[in-house]
Amino acid sequence: MTGLVYKEWKQNRFFILMMIACGLLPFVMILYNREIVTNPEEMSNFRIICTVIAFLAAGCIQTMVLQGDDRKIWGYWITAAPDGYCGFIRVKYEMVFAMIVLFVTSLRMFDELFCAAAADKGWELTSSMSTFAIPLAFLQVLLRATDIPFTLRYGNKKGGIIKLIYCILFVIIISVLVLTNAGNIDVILFETGEKLFTEDNLTLALGILCVIALAAYYISYRISCRVYLKGVEQYDK
Amino acid sequence: MTSKKDCAKRLGIYLLIAFAFGALLIVLRKPMESSQTVSFIVAELFCASPAIASLITRAVTREEFRDMKLHLNLTGNLRYYLLAFALPCIGVAAMYLVPVTAAGHSSWLSGFTLTNVLACVMILAGQAALVSVGLLGEELGWRGYMNQKMQPLFGTAGTCLIGGIVWGAWHFPIDIANYLAGSGTLRYSLETAFGRLALLTCFGVFLMWLTQKTGSVFPAVVAHFIYNASQNAVMMLLEQGNIPEDADLEGFTGTFEYVPFLIMGAVFMVLLLRDKKKTPETA
Repeated sequence: MTGLVYKEWKQNRFFILMMIACGLLPFVMILYNREIVTNPEEMSNFRIICTVIAFLAAGCIQTMVLQGDDRKIWGYWITAAPDGYCGFIRVKYEMVFAMIVLFVTSLRMFDELFCAAAADKGWELTSSMSTFAIPLAFLQVLLRATDIPFTLRYGNKKGGIIKLIYCILFVIIISVLVLTNAGNIDVILFETGEKLFTEDNLTLALGILCVIALAAYYISYRISCRVYLKGVEQYDK
Repeated sequence: MTSKKDCAKRLGIYLLIAFAFGALLIVLRKPMESSQTVSFIVAELFCASPAIASLITRAVTREEFRDMKLHLNLTGNLRYYLLAFALPCIGVAAMYLVPVTAAGHSSWLSGFTLTNVLACVMILAGQAALVSVGLLGEELGWRGYMNQKMQPLFGTAGTCLIGGIVWGAWHFPIDIANYLAGSGTLRYSLETAFGRLALLTCFGVFLMWLTQKTGSVFPAVVAHFIYNASQNAVMMLLEQGNIPEDADLEGFTGTFEYVPFLIMGAVFMVLLLRDKKKTPETA
């Protein structure tokens, strides 16, 4: 297992270290645009935009570490290794999760540093970690949980396209259901949303999202283990 | 094989560096009071000081960086990770709720509804996976380094006791910060410091047991994070209850808050000693 961790580090250390830079990104963007933002309220809104951009950048980089291993020869070789292909997939999952953790930690550090610096200027700002960054981080876990099985099953290029097709199909189905109001779905969705996102339930809903994201990540790993060998047969075609 | 002399030397250097960072909190008190930025940077450095100290000591004494217990070791150890999450949660909840209930103020606990408790547990679970890594700064030093060096010198029971006291003493600059800033009495600061010392000594036994069982510092990181975060969660739920402004628990009930962790410490000390007996002595 240590060998696989070493291989991932040698192969992807640039992307892993880029996570720290992504956490720094909102801080840099704010410093660069400090003259445009003139009051704490504007600053809060601007920080939300910067943080979302940082999450998008980090997400793109996280998917890049999945590239390069979609070759038949590697698939056969790692299957014959002592840890097997499941060990390889596990290290991939652990590495992607570690990248998310590194990004969130870096983001938290620089965000709190910024809040402290703003407090010295007399601006009272709340740390983004206590508001929107944590839900976004779990959303990122959920997105990676969907990305990885597609990449391992269909290879990097084809996997991206097939995932896009599935996403478009999903959006079309939901749109058609909502537009035609089949099975009274509009009312069901509205009522569920209304019940779920009341002020009393918001914390619980957030907690459920956290647990679902983590569970989905584990289920995604199990799915990847099941489909990997089928994918290997299709690589290099 | 590392000799006892080497262990003592390494332990000495490690503690010197870790406590030097602690002294920064007292030395830089004035600039920290006047600037939030300085306060943040010094506080973060202080929190990471055990890890920094262990790395510096390893480098200075030409010790290898191999046995840092940084592997997750999830296979076969998932139950320890779950225990690392559940036990501090239960311990902290008992620490706050037992004294309140013993004093006959159950009506203060109206914030502890099923929805609220479930929400807190789920958020804590999520945060433990994603945010707890910050505590690596402490655990890499205390459990990942100091305990390893102490064990050949003081044995298992000695490491639990002395290690816990050292860990508690390292927090001393935080405990007296309010007094030094002029917003608290020395008596209250010392009470807080010794209370923390007792709690951390007991809790440290559990963390040491987790680290030994799994060969990884990550369960200890999770448990430490949950210990800190669940205190905030319990306080938040207590604030939602009907607590009068002049609320005060009777004197004797305050001592109940130490009972859960005292029991935890005793149980895991027995388990550690039993494990040690099972392990065959090597020449």
